[in-house]
Amino acid sequence: MKLELRDLRHVYARGTPFEVEALRGVSLVVEPKEVLAIVGGTGSGKSTLVQHMNLLLVPTSGQVLVDGADATTLRRSELRRRVGLVFQFPESALFAPTVEEDVAFAPRQLGLDEEEVRERVRQSLRALGAGHLAGRSPFALSGGEKRRAAIAGVLAMRPEVLVVDEPTAGLDPLSREELLDLILGLRESGVSVVLVSHDLDEVAEVADRVCVLHEGRVSAVGTPAEVFYGDPTQAPATVRVTSLLRGSRPEIGDPVRSQETLDALRALQGT
Amino acid sequence: MTTRGLGQFYPVSSPVHALDPRAKLLATAVFVVGLFLVDSTVGLLFVAASLVALVVVSRIPAGTFLRLLRPVLFIVALTLLFQVFFSREGVTLFEWGFLEVHSGGLRLGFFLALRLLLLVSSAGLLTATTAPVALADGIEDLLSPLKRVRFPAHEVAMMMTIALRFIPTLGEEAEKIKGAQAARGADFTEGGPLRRARSFLPVLIPLTVGAFRRADELADAMESRGYRGGEGRTRYRELRFRVSDALALSLTLFLLVVGILL
Repeated sequence: MKLELRDLRHVYARGTPFEVEALRGVSLVVEPKEVLAIVGGTGSGKSTLVQHMNLLLVPTSGQVLVDGADATTLRRSELRRRVGLVFQFPESALFAPTVEEDVAFAPRQLGLDEEEVRERVRQSLRALGAGHLAGRSPFALSGGEKRRAAIAGVLAMRPEVLVVDEPTAGLDPLSREELLDLILGLRESGVSVVLVSHDLDEVAEVADRVCVLHEGRVSAVGTPAEVFYGDPTQAPATVRVTSLLRGSRPEIGDPVRSQETLDALRALQGT
Repeated sequence: MTTRGLGQFYPVSSPVHALDPRAKLLATAVFVVGLFLVDSTVGLLFVAASLVALVVVSRIPAGTFLRLLRPVLFIVALTLLFQVFFSREGVTLFEWGFLEVHSGGLRLGFFLALRLLLLVSSAGLLTATTAPVALADGIEDLLSPLKRVRFPAHEVAMMMTIALRFIPTLGEEAEKIKGAQAARGADFTEGGPLRRARSFLPVLIPLTVGAFRRADELADAMESRGYRGGEGRTRYRELRFRVSDALALSLTLFLLVVGILL
């Protein structure tokens, strides 16, 4: 599925002393089967932007297009199913007595029969490596376990685009690694993923394209190599190191992922 | 952040905003009591005009002030209708089936509705022009004589401050959770009242859990900064009762006495 944002503007609390212009004309396309990372400082409008992708927030002006059709003409429930949105700290919305029940919430809202609901719960929990948590209370889990249960709750809708806002914030390195593997696995199975993140190192590992937001505008968009080598001061560690080497050894190229960078460094050593 | 309702502070600078919170609290108390002593229509209209003047001085836009009153309009309308249709005093003005409108009922209805509206407006003006923290400081100060009889004035004020402080925080949290559940297909608008109330459970449960967690964290944060109640505690913002505050209070009293005599 192709998701297109056209010249989105969003003003909070319009006409009051608290007025804030969060988005000032953002145009962006989420291509089918890609991992698009959205990066930017705090207050750059990342979280506001992603809430427009399933029209939880309605733009002050501008359009959201789903496969070319205006998203406002789709049924709300249809749009919310196709574009799954995982909020920042999604574990704060866990509510059911068991993890199983909580994950079943979304598929039940879709009106699926009980057998299908159970199947989806099982599958999404397994995808997050959380099958063993099914019978536990979500309030008795560790932070990382809660996070997984909450993400499974959105995955159970089988969205065509999964939007995740800072999914790895506050997770230990192992859980983080597993979550990034999940994102790559989803892309393999044909789901587009929009990853909002502060962490450029993790963006470097999984993103097909990167979009940089600055004060409510897109300041750069392209492949990770284009964006990060365009401004190496705001880049992952791999790019910062490589760009220092590039002055004397330009043949190193523009590797971004750690494996690519390692290969490029080895090649350099060999010559 | 976008919803504004009764009791919300409206931060602009005006002579009313600048008054000592104690003066405003006392004036509001005087006003509320005085309202019930005003028994002539002329007197009530005079008091209403004074309040309108006060709102103008407070620099709160009329539209915003009326929006602050919106939650109580239903009760005011109900009072009005009840009096108009169920009072059988005075001349019959209008008859249709079992419905009768009498002149006395009409007068009484408008009188009570206006009184109710003034009551709420005065409280609304107090909270719209006084920052919650200043309000709590004022209440603490006014209650402090009761400390002699072991009334925990400081603790009550601190609880009020915390409660007020956390209204927007919890509101924001509620919005976030509502968004997260809506993203999972929750619908808060469809179905009858019972279904709609049930649809709020997925919001209320995590909100309550979060509030308890926050309370624990806040208690720890306060203790780690050495909070141990009101004994010997000094204030960053000292309250000063100036001449202007005394004048404002006297003016309120004067206007009400005129209203009562009219």
